[in-house]
Amino acid sequence: MSSAKSIVISCAGIGSRLGLGQTKALININGKSLIAWQLAAFKDVEDVRVVVGYQANDVIKEVSRYRKDVIFVYNHRYFETKTGASFYLGARHANEYVIEWDGDLLVHPDDVRKILSTEGEFICYADKASDEAVFVNTGKDGCVESFSREAGDYEWTGPACIRKDRLQYSSGNVFNQLEPYLPMPGLKIRAYDVDTYDDYLRVIEQTKGWRIYNN
Amino acid sequence: MQKPIKFIFDLDGTVTAEETLPLIAKHFHIQVEIDSITKETIQGNIPFVESFIKRVQILGELPVSEISSLLGKVNLYPQLYRFIQENSTYCIIASGNLFCWVDKLTEKIGCSAFCSEAVVENDKIVKLTKILRKELVVEEFQRNGYEVVYIGDGNNDLEAMRTADIAIAVGMTHYPSKSLLPVSDYVIFNEKALCRQLNQLL
Repeated sequence: MSSAKSIVISCAGIGSRLGLGQTKALININGKSLIAWQLAAFKDVEDVRVVVGYQANDVIKEVSRYRKDVIFVYNHRYFETKTGASFYLGARHANEYVIEWDGDLLVHPDDVRKILSTEGEFICYADKASDEAVFVNTGKDGCVESFSREAGDYEWTGPACIRKDRLQYSSGNVFNQLEPYLPMPGLKIRAYDVDTYDDYLRVIEQTKGWRIYNN
Repeated sequence: MQKPIKFIFDLDGTVTAEETLPLIAKHFHIQVEIDSITKETIQGNIPFVESFIKRVQILGELPVSEISSLLGKVNLYPQLYRFIQENSTYCIIASGNLFCWVDKLTEKIGCSAFCSEAVVENDKIVKLTKILRKELVVEEFQRNGYEVVYIGDGNNDLEAMRTADIAIAVGMTHYPSKSLLPVSDYVIFNEKALCRQLNQLL
């Protein structure tokens, strides 16, 4: 399945808005760390790259419990950069097409399969659910036409897939890196990210019935 | 235009699947003296140069030809060995080890090598003449227009990794020295993943 695409999981952040005192990859979701759920979803992907920063040694240790062949990428400037920098660093020496996956994101297992089997570039979005969202405005055939902090048809959750040579270094967000290439094909998915404590409680409830992750 | 690339590899524990000095010590039954120095050096508790001089003082009395033959048979990481053989013009070994000890080994690996050097008389080491500073090898290739990727695991790789354009810390034989992590772009614990990354960089 989709071994030609690299997956970049960005786990460098401090997780300050969540307030659980640890990077979001390590938070417990229904008995397992968030990164463990993600690794289970990518068990058939060859090139999995985990970008580490805050608590790097702890994340490396946790990932290594599940997979030995992950490539760890350092974002040493995690304190003053955002996900855009982590995505660029994770992607710059990866395969031709790279799927960006935030370390705080859980995607429904059926939609993970859809994402991994979709060819070319795309941007994923979901029904609005988060407390602090960036919105997506869509056009014909569900194409993503713009991002907005104020309003939109759906919530931007990621992931997104892009050719790595189109990525530029950015200390901003991933959606800022995608904006120059809009409109891009869109993919509607069921996905939840964990930005705040309320998000965290919601994700625990919403993912309880996701069976493939429980394998 | 993209610069041409060079991969510079540490030897012990990076290309070889076992550390070579402990192997020599075991062969000649002097493990206790050597093992404690090696361990402390990898962890960065004894400066590499000091530790190397001490180890050469101990091992210098041993027959050079026997050490060279022994190390010529040391186990290598097979996929990495194949990568180097298939891409030998892009690959370089940088080893703090004495060339007279690793000459057969580096010949077998099949790419160019930079090592420490000594005067050998009557099959014994009589004088250390050069202790390799790996960062100078990196700088030399950078001056000649190459983008340098450095792959290493020990504290004596620190300055080379800080200088390199891309630094890959590896933890295949032992966990990489903690000192390397703040200057590394990547850390990789698996041979297959390392070869994948090297091929992606080609």
